[in-house]
Amino acid sequence: SSHEHKLNFRKSKEECLSYIQDAMLQKQWKRAADFLIFYTESLEKDFSKEYMGPAEMIWRIGTEILCHHSHSSMKEFNSFIEQMKTLGVKRYLKVCLEHAFHLLCNGLIDEAYQNLSLAESWRFGEQTAIQDKEMKLIQAYRGLLDYYSWSKQKTVLLEHGQDGFEDFSVEQEMHSCFRKAAVNLKEIIKIPGVWDLFVKCYVDLLEFYGDHNEARQVLSEYAYNSKFPANPNAHVYLYQFMKRHGESKKSLISALKILHDIVPSHELMIDFNTMLQKSKKRKKRRLGLEVIFAGLDYAGWKENVKAWSCLARQVKQIVISEKHLDWIKQEWNSRKDWWPAFHFSHYLAKRNWQGNESLSYEKALVAGILLGKDCKYFKYVSHQGCKAQVKRFRILKKFVNKHNPAYLRISG
Amino acid sequence: MEFPAVLFPSYFGAGPPREEGGPALAAGWGEHGQVLEAGPGRRQAERTFVPRHGRTGESWEPTEAAAVPFLTPSASCWVPSLTPQDILYRSVLHRKLWTGKSRATLDFTRQLGHFFVDHPEDAFGSLGRLLHKNFHLGNSKLRRKARDNTIRMTALMEEIDRLEARRGCPRQYLTSRLRWFSHLSRDWLFEVPLGLLADCVHEELLLQWASLLFDDSPTGGALAWLPPEDVGARMGCLVYPGGQAMNQLYFQDVVLEELPHSRGSPAQFELNGRIWQVSAARVDGEGFVGVRSDYHCGVWRVSGRTGAAPAPLQVIRTSMPASCITVSPHLPGELAVCTQSGSVYLWSVELGLQRLRHDPQTMFFRDHSPWRWSDFTAHPRVLSCADRTGLQCLDARVPERCHFDLFKVGEEAGCRQGERVVLPMYLGRAHPSQHLITTQFSVYVLDERLPLVPVLKWAHMMKAPPLFAHLTPGGPGRSHKLLLGASCTQELLLLQYQGGSRSACQLAGPPQKLHSISSCLEHLPTQLPHRHRLLQQRLSAPAAGLAAVLQEDGQRESLLVFQLSEAGDVFCQRLTHEAVQPPKPTSRDEATTAPGSSPLFEAPASSPLRSGTEGEEEEEEEEEEEQTFYLSNVEVIINEEEEWDASTPVAPQEAEVPQESCASPEPARAVPSPAAALRYRRWLKALSKGCGEPPRHTWPPTLSQKRLFTRKELEVLAVPSALHEQARQRLRQAMQEGGRIQRWDTPDPQPPPLPQPLEPSGSPDPLSARLTAAWSGDWEKWWDERTSFNIAQRQRALRERRRRQKRARGRRSLSASFTSSLTYQSELSELSDVAPTTLSPGQPPVLPREGSPPGSFPVASPAPDEALLSSQSLRCRGIPKERRKTLRDYLSVWAEAPPEPFELPSSQASQLCIPSSQSQLSSASQPRRKRPRMGF
Repeated sequence: SSHEHKLNFRKSKEECLSYIQDAMLQKQWKRAADFLIFYTESLEKDFSKEYMGPAEMIWRIGTEILCHHSHSSMKEFNSFIEQMKTLGVKRYLKVCLEHAFHLLCNGLIDEAYQNLSLAESWRFGEQTAIQDKEMKLIQAYRGLLDYYSWSKQKTVLLEHGQDGFEDFSVEQEMHSCFRKAAVNLKEIIKIPGVWDLFVKCYVDLLEFYGDHNEARQVLSEYAYNSKFPANPNAHVYLYQFMKRHGESKKSLISALKILHDIVPSHELMIDFNTMLQKSKKRKKRRLGLEVIFAGLDYAGWKENVKAWSCLARQVKQIVISEKHLDWIKQEWNSRKDWWPAFHFSHYLAKRNWQGNESLSYEKALVAGILLGKDCKYFKYVSHQGCKAQVKRFRILKKFVNKHNPAYLRISG
Repeated sequence: MEFPAVLFPSYFGAGPPREEGGPALAAGWGEHGQVLEAGPGRRQAERTFVPRHGRTGESWEPTEAAAVPFLTPSASCWVPSLTPQDILYRSVLHRKLWTGKSRATLDFTRQLGHFFVDHPEDAFGSLGRLLHKNFHLGNSKLRRKARDNTIRMTALMEEIDRLEARRGCPRQYLTSRLRWFSHLSRDWLFEVPLGLLADCVHEELLLQWASLLFDDSPTGGALAWLPPEDVGARMGCLVYPGGQAMNQLYFQDVVLEELPHSRGSPAQFELNGRIWQVSAARVDGEGFVGVRSDYHCGVWRVSGRTGAAPAPLQVIRTSMPASCITVSPHLPGELAVCTQSGSVYLWSVELGLQRLRHDPQTMFFRDHSPWRWSDFTAHPRVLSCADRTGLQCLDARVPERCHFDLFKVGEEAGCRQGERVVLPMYLGRAHPSQHLITTQFSVYVLDERLPLVPVLKWAHMMKAPPLFAHLTPGGPGRSHKLLLGASCTQELLLLQYQGGSRSACQLAGPPQKLHSISSCLEHLPTQLPHRHRLLQQRLSAPAAGLAAVLQEDGQRESLLVFQLSEAGDVFCQRLTHEAVQPPKPTSRDEATTAPGSSPLFEAPASSPLRSGTEGEEEEEEEEEEEQTFYLSNVEVIINEEEEWDASTPVAPQEAEVPQESCASPEPARAVPSPAAALRYRRWLKALSKGCGEPPRHTWPPTLSQKRLFTRKELEVLAVPSALHEQARQRLRQAMQEGGRIQRWDTPDPQPPPLPQPLEPSGSPDPLSARLTAAWSGDWEKWWDERTSFNIAQRQRALRERRRRQKRARGRRSLSASFTSSLTYQSELSELSDVAPTTLSPGQPPVLPREGSPPGSFPVASPAPDEALLSSQSLRCRGIPKERRKTLRDYLSVWAEAPPEPFELPSSQASQLCIPSSQSQLSSASQPRRKRPRMGF
């Protein structure tokens, strides 16, 4: 009968849990809280060897309820979490970390810092891999908070410095904050992951103390280490760092080229294109055309006026100079079967004209050159433009008519 | 498009998932995940942080107490799908053995048995014919001569019948006879070798069971909403399948009002197969609708103008079942199609099919599922391509060379062991480079620009894997609304998230459960228990699709959610944004609604994920529950004939409820609004009209009339006799009165006189005499006489009897030479497995009775003088004993057999075939005219 008893107990436990779940999914927090009181009984006879035990469930459900319950207070929340921390060693660190997050989101940064420090000093036998990760995160977040207090003191110091007043204790405290932050932040960014926040702070620290080499190394490691995910931000940070420190155009271009290879639709590609277009080298200008064409392949760029004007400008240049029409031809070849429907349909002509006149102007120019003066998009927009007596559209019409042979060469 | 300047921190590992997993109910609660510093523009002194999960979202409140039917149910009845009870093994013994162990056992033998019974010709056809002459099914002993090549099967058949009766008995064992027979015949009796057949049946059963556990065919859902070209118009087109086989495709114009309603009759197309998926997208002002059935995919174009008829464009046929169809949101007339052979096609209406990939193997690790999926990405020439192990993106221009991994089930995304991709979806309307991936445990949002690392991950805690998803994009600063739907549990979950371009992706607000179709059951008018059960079955049919429309009406914003069930029902519900006060919300104590809205009540009774024994037990409990429920509600019984007046206020008490609901934090919507209640009633009425006849299993047992009457008897007379007329009239009258006919033969209202006592002719046997005496009321006298019977009389009677027996025995050997051939007999006994009684309509239904077992009486012996009357009567009398039992069947057989050349009048024919029975043999000298009294 003990088996039966266990079964019944399990059954009622599950039932209770499903009631709680149901109430929470309907945002009936009070009802859920009432049921949770009964559910705590399940802790007493925890026979389960399941993936998630009742202790963890109570922690999760309780936290969620306290986050939404209209009558809950921070004090209650803290005392609940403190109880939860004692419920099991396996999730102690996780609970601490989440507690700190909650405090941070509620603006209680000092309390969060204390919590993290306390959690950091926790030791219990051998740590599992997950606990190890959690510990590293705790240290990293503490480092982050150290960084914030460092930057606070830095501002204070800089303000005071302007007054010609120096406070050694503040300065010392600031340096100790730096040390604490740097140690912890340095640790986590060695591990593969997405650490944008930590990397930025660490690089800021290093830059302040003039350690540019270390900063550059950290950033290039973050961007180019193949164990790390292909995070566009890593490349952006490196590019921005290089730009800040006035590195050569060449290295900037090579950094952006790599970004272009992984994310052709990144917003920096417009800067990249401008940079390339200005270049005297033919190869780079060619790359510039490729970059802008590739960017406009993406649905997110469809109504990007800047990008269209970049393309229009470059295409116009090429057509006027009548050199390198083959570049356009080559780019156009892989797109001519779908760009007309994707960008230059009659429907879009109407919509663009109504929605954004300059967009329709740039697009009409490109369409007129790539598809000829009989293209639907160009015809509609130029007609409307002339009808509305906008000067640039008349010029546009003339330009396209004049350069119709270019179209024939591109398409042929 | 911008990329968030700072992403939430996360670890990135490689390799197979390390975290052990299983479904966990509370896994999605109480986590902030990670935090980030809130965006710039604030003073450094007070830094604020935002969590990845758990920030507050928009409040969307349902306006109704339950989902409301949107369409009237189709006229054709729905055939409920397979349930676990149908194929799982269940018996008392089994239940005892496996109590507490959730293991399902397929009832393989039952299925095989069904096959043998349902298709005997296919199972045993040829050998059955060959052995025809060698199997004897009659009751008689076999003659010595026949015994050489014929075996008697009667006992075996009886044994089998007994076995059937003892089904489920723990002490069930096979008799040696059965064992002997099965051992002997196992190898040769079957048309298809038993092993082979068993393999096939078993394989099929396993497939059926697997699809009961998880059926991926409806992935994506068969419901689609096509918005009008004009954004402000409160119109749209709903595309859904219908009909008994779900093979009709409907395009229904819908007017969005407080409760959406259809306008005009839908455009209808009949397709060549069950519709599994309907996918729609609007490109360049035109709607394109892709439809997938098992072996056919089709595409329709719906012009943006309202009222324009949808035009079918193209159909393709696949040799393997298709598993996916998605319509390109970028280019008109482009679709992605996948088949279970592992092929991915880009299908252009103009250019035809282009195969991008063909790989029967899964991408990242081995998984047996042939399911494939494909969708579009931010780049119109790049398609995503998924199987259960992950998602890759392929460039359609160079599919072999140009691809990258977007999602992998593994440590990269922090997956759990055993996790598999269930539904990928391109979230282009929210953000051009975002994709949704659902697994049985979690939902992931991925950004193409940062492959492999989910920008959002959340454990959805749904009981069944989400097979349907719908995205309602939010404008700038607003959250995107993501609806997830499961099939067999009908779960519907609303998630909100935001970010992706300027700020990192965050989950907004706790998830919210929406009404399932089955939840409206408690709001329907009370039904009779059996109807309630049918209704419950219908309403808890697995969901088959999901669609939603965001309706903006000035300040007021509402989300209309449509849900389609496998029975073809479309239900809808409206959610309004917090800023708007829901119309007339009714207040009721939270506690009172609690049980009604608990998951216990709405779990469909036929949820296929439970093991058979468990399900059965619950079913029993449920039945009990139902009864008590109805006893307390007996006063409310719906009358189908009643006309429901549209203007009748359905819930009058509602108006009296004070509007204090605003004070309550969660307004409990216990009563449906009058409009919704009206919808429920109309729906119910249409349902009962359309499916008036209850499903088969609730019919009373029916008897075939074929064998009750002879052909002759069923012939309609040209001029109905007076008796016929009278009988008909009485029948009609009885039916009108709802009474019954007690006696046929006495049309007059006078009480019938006592039947004339049977004239004792000759010397009746003691039993007849005793019965006759008892009938006429002087039984006591008879007893006295009997006791005072003198010995001399007894002796004389005995002597007389012996002499008669002797004579009969002598004649038996003679009559045997006159009996019809043995084959004739076996034909008879084959057809005589049912023994219906023969009745002639015009005569009193007195059945021939056999007082005692046939073995205790000698052979039929008519009067000796009659014995030599004619050859016909001889033949009749020569009928051996064993045939007597089947003679009633013989009559009915006659009715089926081609009319014999010697057409006898029915009365005469029956006379000829009367089994000689007790009274005949005891009253040898009884005059012949008495015989019809025996029943014919």
